[in-house]
Amino acid sequence: MAGQSAVAALRARGGGRPGRTARLFEFVLEPYYYLGPALILIALVMVLPLVVGLSYAFRDIRILAPVSGGFVGFDHFETLLFRDRVFWRSLGNTLWWTGGSLVFQFLLGLGLALLLNRQFGGRRLVQAVVFLPWAVPTFLSGLTFAWLFNPVIGPLPHWLAALGILSEPYNILGNPSIALWGPIVANVWFGIPFFAITLLAALQAIPRELYEAAAIDGANAWQRFTKVTLPFLAPMIAITVLLRTIWISNFADLVVVMTGGGPANATQILPSYIFTTAYRKLDFGYASAIATALLVLLFLYALILIRMRRALPSTT
Amino acid sequence: MSPQARLLAKDLALALGHRLAIALYMLFALFPLFWLIKISVTPDRLLFTEGIRLWPSEMTWANFSFVLLRSDFPAFFTNSVIVSLGTAIAVTLVAAAAGYAFSRFRFPGKYAVVFLLLLTQMFPLVMLIAPIYRLMAPLGLTDNLTGLIVVYTAFNVPFATFLMQSFFDGIPTDLEEAAMIDGCTRLSALRRVIFPLTLPGMAATLGFVFTAAWSELLFALMLINSEETMTFAVGLLTFVSKFSVDWGQMMAAGVLALIPACLFFAFIQRYLVQGLTAGALKG
Amino acid sequence: MTAFLRPGALVALGAAVLAAPAPASAQTTLQLVEVITSPQRTEVVQKLVDQFEAANPGVTVEITSLPWGQAFEKLATMVQGGQIPDVVEMPDRWMALYANNKQLVDLGPYMESWANADQLNERTVEFGSVVNDTMYMVPYGFYLRAMFWNKKLFGEAGLDGSPETMDEFMEASKKISELGGGKAGYCLRGGPGGANGYIMMMLNMMGHDDYFDAAGNSNLNSPDAIKGLQFLIDLYQNGYAPRDSVNWGFNEIVAGFYSGTCAMLDQDPDALIAVKERMNPEDFAVAPMPLGPAGKSFPTIGYAGWSMFEASQHKDDAWQLIAHLSSPESNLEWSKFVGVIPIYQGAEQDPAFATEQYAGWFTELNDERWQPTSMPTYLEEFGYFADVIVVQTGQEALLGQRSAEDVANEWAEYLTAAQQKWRASRQ
Repeated sequence: MAGQSAVAALRARGGGRPGRTARLFEFVLEPYYYLGPALILIALVMVLPLVVGLSYAFRDIRILAPVSGGFVGFDHFETLLFRDRVFWRSLGNTLWWTGGSLVFQFLLGLGLALLLNRQFGGRRLVQAVVFLPWAVPTFLSGLTFAWLFNPVIGPLPHWLAALGILSEPYNILGNPSIALWGPIVANVWFGIPFFAITLLAALQAIPRELYEAAAIDGANAWQRFTKVTLPFLAPMIAITVLLRTIWISNFADLVVVMTGGGPANATQILPSYIFTTAYRKLDFGYASAIATALLVLLFLYALILIRMRRALPSTT
Repeated sequence: MSPQARLLAKDLALALGHRLAIALYMLFALFPLFWLIKISVTPDRLLFTEGIRLWPSEMTWANFSFVLLRSDFPAFFTNSVIVSLGTAIAVTLVAAAAGYAFSRFRFPGKYAVVFLLLLTQMFPLVMLIAPIYRLMAPLGLTDNLTGLIVVYTAFNVPFATFLMQSFFDGIPTDLEEAAMIDGCTRLSALRRVIFPLTLPGMAATLGFVFTAAWSELLFALMLINSEETMTFAVGLLTFVSKFSVDWGQMMAAGVLALIPACLFFAFIQRYLVQGLTAGALKG
Repeated sequence: MTAFLRPGALVALGAAVLAAPAPASAQTTLQLVEVITSPQRTEVVQKLVDQFEAANPGVTVEITSLPWGQAFEKLATMVQGGQIPDVVEMPDRWMALYANNKQLVDLGPYMESWANADQLNERTVEFGSVVNDTMYMVPYGFYLRAMFWNKKLFGEAGLDGSPETMDEFMEASKKISELGGGKAGYCLRGGPGGANGYIMMMLNMMGHDDYFDAAGNSNLNSPDAIKGLQFLIDLYQNGYAPRDSVNWGFNEIVAGFYSGTCAMLDQDPDALIAVKERMNPEDFAVAPMPLGPAGKSFPTIGYAGWSMFEASQHKDDAWQLIAHLSSPESNLEWSKFVGVIPIYQGAEQDPAFATEQYAGWFTELNDERWQPTSMPTYLEEFGYFADVIVVQTGQEALLGQRSAEDVANEWAEYLTAAQQKWRASRQ
């Protein structure tokens, strides 16, 4: 193709100002070469199944029944929105679950990253240790926390009672009004390393001169934090918060292991409800409808967050 | 107090506060793990009667010896290591390329691709099991480690891509443009100039993906049937039978499983905390 | 079977499928899936399978053991993905689901030519054919509920024996809870698996075990049944069961029992294995379930067995495997080990079953006042009903969020709909 040989000629000349066709190449094709492997893999292994999974929401799919699969239109959504009180309960719980988990793990993770962002004796050891919670399979950490909250075999209820937070040692996982905090605590424990390590890596990238310059200009610690640190951290914060929110919203393991969604659906969140519907009732169509509703909500959330991010001034 | 002494006192107080805060974090992170260890060394019959004590009255190594010597766990660990390493390397390579593209180029469809990657994270994985299973089975990718690596790589690429994009965003474009003007192709500029600077980013990505693959349970459970191919996470599930949970053994296996994850993370740490050489721009 | 899934062998597999079917004398591999898995059980299954392989050269059996906690979804995933085993361990609650979806083979014709068939006790055939009167499973044993009770705690509370009636049961729970120190009378299973408890109490109060009346409407919201549900609610709300028990599953209730937190536990013989390992034999015993006001009691009976999948390519060999696993010798060994009541007539005479601890169960089997009842597992929806609906709404009732009547009405409505659907399908 003429464009290609022109580009080749340009390259042979060693760069220089690219012509129009070369610009076409650079702006359209070249990035897709780099994106290629990722796109192909994801398209095949994730997007295709995702489309199939989404299609279930409009069909009657019971996985063991060989003859199901008929198209039912919006029936599932109708039931979901107007006749399913468990769905609305789960939605509310999911908001608490996601909000509660995210706020604490983000703030504590950021705190930890700031603490780790300086040289001190034993820093490598500390870094390795605080990363451990992320390496434990969530099934196991869920069981461990369930164990810790059980007054028969765990210390936490007794300590909480001694501190006056609980009136007497009992298992908070059995109390519908506070049961959700059990999995939230486990999730915070699990998620702090994620924020700590990613934010630490971003903090490391901030040029020291900027802090020195700010100090020379008379900025105090808080001002250095808000004027230098935060703007540089903003991109990483945006992406980690976005991703972690999406992950937490879809994260059923801890709830399923620690409370099973009970008692009386007090801890039922959308992902655990989806799991129960799909793998206990074997109604994949309805489960997919719930999942689709969740996906729509998350998509809107991502849209808003990304718009906000693009609206903020960039640091580069 | 003299001004110097006051400054010194302030520095000491800050340092003390710093260490204290770190100690609290470590305590919080370690406490459940400590409990895990405690359960793994408690003899079965004391598990429920001595549940609340901080340390059992009698210790036993029987659980560890069972897991190491008389169960299939050594094989499970090996499988997990293979899968996790394979996934970590594959993801880092693919995501580095993709993250670079997002960082350096503006091109039509860019935000569509970004949303596509995000979209894949928004649908619960439990719903994807059935379609993925049906996709993998005819390709011969069920019940073997290769299939798992393929699936895990696909799952982790979106996050890793965004992570790598952030790291690339932190490296000024002047560096590779300078190299390209000097006659390098973009690829060799990447290799010679940019790559060393991305080591912290790649280390972080490797670390996260390794642990994600290491502790993944759902797909390992659903895609693998035969015992020889099981990963250790699924192996943990076998300790939960209908009538009892072999807590001691399960926790022992869990403790042992932390070691490779720990070692791997310790290994990449060296690269993680390396500050970027901002001096590259000055020369 | 795994060898067939490696990419390289896929071509060979394709060729083999296109070619003529292999003659019966060539090497056959059967896939056996066990779902109620523990390392010890797998050992016993392996032993029985080894005997089978020795007696049938040319047939090898591959055992796949699914972790029990995830077995239901894992098996469903395997089946929908086309990885269908030949023989599977089938719990009673799953049978209707698989059978109604035409996944299981009717074993009736095989039974006709089976030598051991007439030595089976009547319950075996009755329960194996509960779905559409077709024998979709050869049961390997029966689980029957009886009341474990903690002799030590009873002694401390001044009680001299296990409760015989429901009123005595409530009374005993009260006295033991009054001992204080976190002790309670009854290990209530308010969490997963708790359906049996509710149903037993409701049936006891009703005095009969007809789940449905002649018109196919559920009896679970009849006034007496509601009294049964209210009995448990009162028990819980008065503190005679531990406060956390609203969300207790199997592990918690058994742990509650052997840690001495609660003094009474209704369970099957297989729980005996877990309890025996952790409690002194003098400290506990097993009594028959308490009698209801009508002088009768209806302990629930469950079962599991071996089924064959319709998709099996080697049905005759698969039947031979099932027949071997269900032979008198194999079954006796298996049921003793696993803790179920065996399927052959007179097997209860075996010394292993004549111990004091099994006495409770055998009273229930032999004394007319106790009528072991199976639950309506022929209804496809029953599994979901018992595992999800009863648990969640039962918790709401225990916590006082809803009245017993309200919850019982919801249960009756759900079951009536399922029953009507079932009746219609039989027309």
